Amino acid sequence: MASAKKQTPLFDWHKSHGANLVEFGDYLMPVWYASARNEHLAVVSLAGLFDTSHMATLRVFGKDAFELLQWCFTRNLNACVGKDNAPLTDGRCVYGAFLDEYGNAIDDSLVYKIIDGEYMVVVNASMGGLVAKHVAEQAKGRDVNVIDLTDQLGKIDIQGPASIKVMAKILRNPEAVFDKLPYFSAKGHFDPASTLAGQVQLADGTPMLLSRSGYTGEVGFELFVERAHTVKVWEAIVAAGEEFGLTPCGLAARDSLRTGAVLPLSHQDIGPWTFIHHPWPFALPFTPAGDGFTKAFHGSAALEKASDAPYTLTFVGHDLRKVDAHNARVYLDGKEIGTVLTCATDMAIGRHEGKIFSIASPEKPAGLAIKGLCCGFIKVGSKLAPGTAVEIKDGKRAIQVVIETDVRPDRTARKALKTFL
Amino acid sequence: MFPADCQYTKNHEYLKPLGDGTALIGITHYAQEALGDVVFVQLPEVGAAMAAGEEFGTVESVKTVSECYLPSDGEVLEANGELEAHPEFVNEDPYGKGWMLKIKLVGSINPELLDAKAYEIHVVSEAL
Repeated sequence: MASAKKQTPLFDWHKSHGANLVEFGDYLMPVWYASARNEHLAVVSLAGLFDTSHMATLRVFGKDAFELLQWCFTRNLNACVGKDNAPLTDGRCVYGAFLDEYGNAIDDSLVYKIIDGEYMVVVNASMGGLVAKHVAEQAKGRDVNVIDLTDQLGKIDIQGPASIKVMAKILRNPEAVFDKLPYFSAKGHFDPASTLAGQVQLADGTPMLLSRSGYTGEVGFELFVERAHTVKVWEAIVAAGEEFGLTPCGLAARDSLRTGAVLPLSHQDIGPWTFIHHPWPFALPFTPAGDGFTKAFHGSAALEKASDAPYTLTFVGHDLRKVDAHNARVYLDGKEIGTVLTCATDMAIGRHEGKIFSIASPEKPAGLAIKGLCCGFIKVGSKLAPGTAVEIKDGKRAIQVVIETDVRPDRTARKALKTFL
Repeated sequence: MFPADCQYTKNHEYLKPLGDGTALIGITHYAQEALGDVVFVQLPEVGAAMAAGEEFGTVESVKTVSECYLPSDGEVLEANGELEAHPEFVNEDPYGKGWMLKIKLVGSINPELLDAKAYEIHVVSEAL
């Protein structure tokens, strides 16, 4: 039976601007407007705008909020920020996951410390209720509240090197906002009653939480606003971005950009299997020696016992042709060794003498025609060294790909904001 | 959107008779729109003889890889080499610069092909 699909506050805008719509996580979302390829390229070289209001946000607050998240979340909140593993302080966020008792991923997430006793948890589309229930069940007498804000907020991601100039045009106090705003930090709040609400505002005073993060590998922001303000903020960005080539983008570009940035998709690249061999080891609180965890957490006992957990590894092909990930398998020397989880084309990269260059690479060879490369994630039973050649094959096509640790070079996500002004 | 001088398959290929026993083959405007950006087109060797319904190539878009089937029996006279460098022609001009094959028709044109009106009805019913 077909179920009614939910709409974000921007649904009418998408429709009236020619978006092709698809069902994604209970929502009808734009997959692309005019061209997914151009949208992907715009984010790498200019800027793109994404409606991500389908994602769910939770509030976890109260005296024991830290203790509860320390138990439920895979990051050690006392040691997770930067190279020195500093504690999570006000305005910082970290990537990790919530696991079940078997050590399988329920969902991945960003956890923000807003202030002492107040955390914000951002999870995937339609996962708000499930994660909120799981976290609340683990509270067990602790003094903490878990509130699912699903469909109460608007979320807009602006991504790409021109994002900073675009936001500088519409924010009330851009210099103060961009000052000391490292990758994975946030300022402001969407709730006008919050003491932080004055930190980040539109020129008309509309408050927002602005997070320097995203899901594309390029520099930019995730903006959280009260649902009623979503269309206004979106339209302000579209108008301000016109002179910088800002392009509204759909989920297809989001998928190819995140794949090129080696960012796994929850429920596809990580999921109901043992969460131990994630492409980014920092997603778990490993000791420096890697022989254990720096804290106990829900699911950690199962992880410590896991002996045959699969690996999620990234690969890159030699041209832009891809396979159908839903029924493709991985072969090493003719022997089947695993399955394909994601297979997409990063349209902004190409190979020259084996080495990968991006349209944004400063040292890319003159005359190199960049047409895109197939890339993605595979799930295999044992670790493969970077550089290993494997074959991925669906019912119709077999292509040669190489195991890599990175895909699209010269990404901008971590560069200093002042270099973009 | 669906030129009257073409005939159509339910799988969204068109056949455009050129009046001299040859025809151009490609995919329809509806097909290119549904696929999104076409990024790669694989076409057969010139000289290949094929039957109606036989797979003659693949069109790869950002979304998926789709097979193309020959609308009517024929022999491949020419494959559009321009598409190697410019697969986007399939999106921009599916009945013009985005043609895929020129074939020599063998026998009469497949009677199961739809005219423009019937194809439009098929497209509308498929979208419902």
